[in-house]
Amino acid sequence: MSTSNSGFLAGAADIGRRLLRDRAALLGFALILLLVLAALFAPWLATHPTDVYEIHTARRLTPPGAEHWLGTDRMGADIYSRLLFGARITILIAVIAVGTAVLIGVPIGLVAGYYRNWFSDLLMRLSDIFLAVPQIVLAIAIAQTLGPSIENVILALSATYWPFWARLVYAETRSVKNETFVEAAIALGASAPRVMLLHILPNIASAIIVRTSIGMGATILTAAALGFLGLGAPPPTPEWGRTIAESREYLPEAWWYALAPGIAIFLVVMGFNLLGDGLRDILDPRIRRGGREP
Amino acid sequence: MSELLLDVENLTLGFRTERGLARILDGASLRIAPGQVMGLVGESGCGKTTLARAILGVLPAGGARIDGGSIAFRGRDLLREDPAIVARDLRGRAITFIPQDPFSSFNPVFTIGDQMMDLMKWKSPRRKGEGRWPALLQPYPRARRRADMEAVLEMLAAVQLPNPRAILRKYPHEVSGGQRQRLMIAMALLPEPDLVIADEPTTALDVTIQAQILGVIRRLATERRVAVLLTTHDLGSAWEICDAVTVMYAGQDVESAPIDAFFAAPAHPYTTRLLESLPRAPEEGGAADVGGIPGEVPSPLAQPAGCRFHPRCDRATEACRVVRPEETQLAAGHRLRCYHPRLPA
Amino acid sequence: MKRLELILSRLLWLVPTLIGLGVITFLISHVIPTDPVAILAGENATAEQIAALRRELGFDRPLPVQLLAYFQDLLRGDMGVSLFSQQPIAEELATRLPATLELTFAAVLLASAIGIPLGVVSALRRNSAIDHALRVVTVSGLAIPSFWLAIQLQYLFAMKVGIAPLNGRIDGFGPEPLTGMMILDSLLQADWESLGGALRHIALPAITLALPAAATIARFTRAGVLEVVTSNYVLYECAMGLPGALVTWKYVLRNALISTVTQIGLIFGVLLSGAVVVEAVFDWPGLGAFAVISIIQSDHRAVMGFTLWAGAIFVIVNLIVDVLHTLIDPRSTR
Repeated sequence: MSTSNSGFLAGAADIGRRLLRDRAALLGFALILLLVLAALFAPWLATHPTDVYEIHTARRLTPPGAEHWLGTDRMGADIYSRLLFGARITILIAVIAVGTAVLIGVPIGLVAGYYRNWFSDLLMRLSDIFLAVPQIVLAIAIAQTLGPSIENVILALSATYWPFWARLVYAETRSVKNETFVEAAIALGASAPRVMLLHILPNIASAIIVRTSIGMGATILTAAALGFLGLGAPPPTPEWGRTIAESREYLPEAWWYALAPGIAIFLVVMGFNLLGDGLRDILDPRIRRGGREP
Repeated sequence: MSELLLDVENLTLGFRTERGLARILDGASLRIAPGQVMGLVGESGCGKTTLARAILGVLPAGGARIDGGSIAFRGRDLLREDPAIVARDLRGRAITFIPQDPFSSFNPVFTIGDQMMDLMKWKSPRRKGEGRWPALLQPYPRARRRADMEAVLEMLAAVQLPNPRAILRKYPHEVSGGQRQRLMIAMALLPEPDLVIADEPTTALDVTIQAQILGVIRRLATERRVAVLLTTHDLGSAWEICDAVTVMYAGQDVESAPIDAFFAAPAHPYTTRLLESLPRAPEEGGAADVGGIPGEVPSPLAQPAGCRFHPRCDRATEACRVVRPEETQLAAGHRLRCYHPRLPA
Repeated sequence: MKRLELILSRLLWLVPTLIGLGVITFLISHVIPTDPVAILAGENATAEQIAALRRELGFDRPLPVQLLAYFQDLLRGDMGVSLFSQQPIAEELATRLPATLELTFAAVLLASAIGIPLGVVSALRRNSAIDHALRVVTVSGLAIPSFWLAIQLQYLFAMKVGIAPLNGRIDGFGPEPLTGMMILDSLLQADWESLGGALRHIALPAITLALPAAATIARFTRAGVLEVVTSNYVLYECAMGLPGALVTWKYVLRNALISTVTQIGLIFGVLLSGAVVVEAVFDWPGLGAFAVISIIQSDHRAVMGFTLWAGAIFVIVNLIVDVLHTLIDPRSTR
């Protein structure tokens, strides 16, 4: 990466251009855009916007057709409409959970990597212990303790996900801190917060961005799994993972029930992974796939 | 020089890059007689390593494109023969390799003995046709294995490695750089080749052991009558062990001469400048720094027409800017491509 | 012996990690909830019952004392009694462990058998149609929600085609339990009928779990091979005319697999996470299914017991992988 913050900013336009050339990353971006649009315009795009709360026993478990594009569920609700409103929950959980994890993890990693004393060692050991357990296991424990709700899913995910960013930022900060331009800034008498925010952070931003994109995908998968286990939002919330769990009782007759929500989760996670892959290729030349030049 | 061991004629090849085709070699020629130690010298980026890798058949896959010329080894054109047969019969057998960096050229996860015996299993001079097994199932006859092991131990003694049996049990990272390069020399000579290609074999080593390694190469080449192609940017190394020298500039050969003629009577302006740029004591009138030739080596993406050296040459005339000079013979084994050579007065 | 030193230091690190894990579950169960005892007592408990339980469990004592008592119980192997089976939780988890191990081992084997060759081929034919296709497959493999894939496989192969059982681990009683792993037990006792049944039952859950793991393995193998093929030693081996198959499958793969093996710890985490939901879908009687049952029954102590066990298994597997790494990479003792 560039060795000064102006270089990083100047590189932004170049990054955009190269992303446009990477078809896989572009596809990922398109998928994410689709998710955001679906969430924003759910009330207008939905064919049966009120089905999120209403019950229509007469038309329960209708197969896909002209009236219900993706069929209806056990309450007779239109799956397509619920899918659109479910996108809002997915974005809400992913953005707030990852955002909180970044806001906790990045400062901890930055401070621990910058000072390197017993306290930073303690912080890193703590995050190591968190990382020593699969995320979903801890998230299950926390979410079960707090009770099923969207807020608690978000809390459980951010509480278990911050160490990923803390570790990453810690390692990056330690390596950047030894660079000449940081040492020069320190020698010139810049204060510690100033060095961290203006000199170190811009140079490790690319690593954080890549990790965040991939982390969004992982978080959506974990959140859906929590929803599937019944630890997410209680019914009738149109959460995708919960919808899939509900569908199990109606197989093999209602084959369409789980199909659409599953594909929706898959496409969104794939979108973040593809974008993250593309960003990594561009931002982190050390592990670039290479050989993509014409 | 009637029968040449290696005859590279007009080799032209390039790499596709983002900014177009980079011509790394453009009509490069090189001739080596049996048993001759040939130095291939030039500044870094002149194409010597690419030429060596072209002869070895290990140009980077995908990017390299050969546009013309030939590499004849004992009359067989390596570029036109079946690559599988070249790999099986010539590579590692008649033509072997001493790499530039002995630190990274050993496979780090296998013992030295494992790697040497694998080489011997496939490339031992005692290997006679052993049927067509898939490579991973190829048996290693016990009698030959024993004979090969003897040869390995003998060779390790010949390159002056102490305690050969112990070394075979070690991993590459457990021995020193100088020892590793001695092992590489041993592996290059074990198949009893006709030609060893040594690509800057001492640049990665400590100055103090460079001379020792060069000495080992020279001694064994003479004893075993093996021809050596030594690429180097260090004229001192060439002076120490070569029989003859070929100078390259910007992907082309410019002058080729026996070692005495090369140092006593260099004729190409580039060669003379190269020799002048050698570090010398200031009182002798030499430049104090290396590489003191004005101007820059041209980019392989935009090579000048005619003689490539003309933008930096003080003798250049109109003719030099248009057509590359033909090869002329000054004396036995002394060839030159220049319209205005410096001839001995 | 540097290798021994390394292994010992890793073993030593196990202790604070496990203690830390215990502290985390303690915090989750004793400190985070506004009224932890109410959670333990369940939704239908009266105020008196909760108060009685509070005294009984010692929740009225100061936190450090509670933490100490918590660790004393853990050291005795006492995690409480499962609401679901009325068995001690530790015992329940212990009897369920072999089923989870069998499933994850099967998945790791399957994933390696698919992922390693795919990764090698993908790297050697870089930027070819195969490579691009494999990239799509590996990226997809990581994005598919495993609980959904499990349901789809059940629908297709168990309900529609009917070539695999819908769920469970075996029909009838199965082989005499020796290790608790049915495939191994039936092999040991030459009980071919049970072996066939066990294999048919494990097929769908193992495939479900193996898919994302295979994608991860393929990615790391590909990256490892790509790094190795541009190395100087591969250039040397090719320049010396060694057969291509020998260079690829011995010299290159062995180096590339070093990084893949270190990733198996991570892959195991993926599997363990997947196992929670996949076991639930397939009624596979392992730790994950127990966790899900306990969640449904709001059996808080059972969930905490599962967390501790899953964490401990994960930590131990990573320890084994670390040790394995020092064994296969001669340079690591430097």
